[in-house]
This record gives sequence, structure tokens and C-alpha cells, in this order.
Amino acid sequence: MRNCEQFRELILTEYIDGQCDAKTAEMVEVHLMDCNDCRHIFSELKSQAILPLRTVVPQAVPTELWMRIKEGIEEKSLKRNPFEEIAGHLKGWMVLPRLVPVLASFLVMFLAGSATLNTLQLQQVNTQEQGEYLASLFTPSGTSSDNESGTPIEQYFL
Amino acid sequence: MEELAKDILVRASQGDMQAFEEVYKRTSGFVYNVAYRIVNNREDAMEVAQEVFMTVHDKLKEFRFESSFNTWLYRITANRAINYAKKFSRIKTMPFEESFGDAAVPSDAEKTIEQEEQKHLVEKLLGELNEDQRACVVLREIQGLSYEEIAQALNININTVRSRLKRSREKLMSLKKSIYEKL
Repeated sequence: MRNCEQFRELILTEYIDGQCDAKTAEMVEVHLMDCNDCRHIFSELKSQAILPLRTVVPQAVPTELWMRIKEGIEEKSLKRNPFEEIAGHLKGWMVLPRLVPVLASFLVMFLAGSATLNTLQLQQVNTQEQGEYLASLFTPSGTSSDNESGTPIEQYFL
Repeated sequence: MEELAKDILVRASQGDMQAFEEVYKRTSGFVYNVAYRIVNNREDAMEVAQEVFMTVHDKLKEFRFESSFNTWLYRITANRAINYAKKFSRIKTMPFEESFGDAAVPSDAEKTIEQEEQKHLVEKLLGELNEDQRACVVLREIQGLSYEEIAQALNININTVRSRLKRSREKLMSLKKSIYEKL
């Protein structure tokens, strides 16, 4: 069972606009017969908010409007340069600017990746050089290249 | 408003100015009157209507007939008029005395007075609503669009249409009561 508030909601909207289904419309009509307050609101609604607007006489369209529109269209087509025409035809290709952020992020990722790879390779070379150096420190002196370039000092004093 | 034949729209979209003039003739009444009631003066309504038809002329070639042309036109018109009204806020709500203070006009012009009073009353009533409410009320009361058509034109849901109409009507009822009390 609906109360007055719910009926008023319908009266102010769907009922006055004829947008209710038949069953709801019938319920509202039965309520309007029984309820003085809602009947009063319905009557005020019609006379004060609906009829003044629904009986408005349409304004005649000013005759100069079409001339203004026509002139506006002609002016616009004159202003349009050939590059704009071509740009208009190529509108379908204009998805490229939208892809710029995606392409830019791919480029950044590629550069960051290659920089990381270079650093790793450099570190690997350094480690290899350091290993070779350490190995040379522990190599016996007889095999050292110094012996090949001059007279061993023990032989000089002998 | 009657739906336009597809062939007229197709020809107009291909640049046929005669077909475009036919589109204008069939739809300008709706466009101008909606614009007039939302912006509430002749010169601004002309500007809005001009913008609407220039947009239709430019964009008609992109119209794919997947929805009704009328719905598309309702939407362009309502959007342009609401944006214009919001941007310039030129709605002039005349003071009551100015709107209804013509009692001393000669009696042979009674009919004209009545029409003028009606005109001022409508302007006054619509001027009290905000732009969004006004658009809803104009499309419903003056143009007779259904809730669904209004929802599509304004890109809002039906419940919003319902609540805007309800609030507008409550406001109009209280306002008109005060106008008649003053009379």
C-alpha cells in the first residue's frame, strides 16, 4: 500500500506525463478520488507548472538565420586550406599521435635494458682482468717474462 | 519531430546544399525554439542555432545511422544551448514589477497584453530554473519529448530526468503561487 508521499512522487512525474503503466495510473486515480490534499496538489501542478509551459506559442524562426548559417558554411570552406583537407582525409591515420606515449615507453625500456647489459658486460671484463692480474702475482718467477729480458742477478754475482 | 528520410541526410552529408536546406527547414523550428527557451533571448538563440547547424553540416558525413538523427540533433541542440547559457549566464530574470506592471496599457490591446503576460510568465518561470532543469522542462513541456528521449538527448539516465522534472515542478509551483499572490 502506497502512502501520500509516494503518490505525490508519481503525480509530479510519470502520472502527469502519461508515462505510468495502466495499473499504476488506475491506482493513482483511485487515490486522487479519496485524498483531498493530493487532489489539490494535482490541480495546482496542472494549472501552475504544466499548462503555462505546454500552451506556449512556438517562436517563429527568424528569416535571417538560414542566411547566417549559409554564410558561415561558405566562410568556413574558404578558410579551409588544402593541408587541412588532406589532414581531414588522413584522419584515419591519426592514431599515431595516440601511440606516442606507448612508443616512448618502449624506447625508454629499450635504452634502460641496453644500458644495463653494457654495465654487466663491463663488469664481466673487469672481473676477468682482475683474475688474470691476481693469477700473474702467484706465478713462479722462472716463468716470468722478466727473466727473458735481462741477466738474472744471481748469475751476475757468480 | 518527424524523422527525416535517409536519402536527404545522405545527400546533405555529401555536400548537397539543397538537401541541407531541406534538413534545416524541417528541423529549424525545434532547434531554434529549444535554444530560445534555454538561453531566453532571440539573439543568443540565433547564435546557438547557427552553431548547431554548422556542427550538423560538419559532422553529418560521420553520422553512421546507427541511432536516430533526431536523437543526435536533440543532443547537439541541448548541449550547445546549455553550454551557452552556462558560459554567458545571460538569463535575465526580470523583477516582478517589470514583468507584470503593464496595467495602464489601453484596453483595445487586451489580447496583446495577455500574450505578453504569458510570454513574460514563461520567461520568468524558466528563468528561475538552473540550466540543466530548464533543458529538461523545455524538452518535456514545450517539445513533448518522452523521458527516454530526454535521457538520450541530455546523456543522463531516466531517474535523473524524473528527479529534475520533479524538482523543477515543485519550484515552479511555489514560484507561480508567489507571483499570483503579488497580483
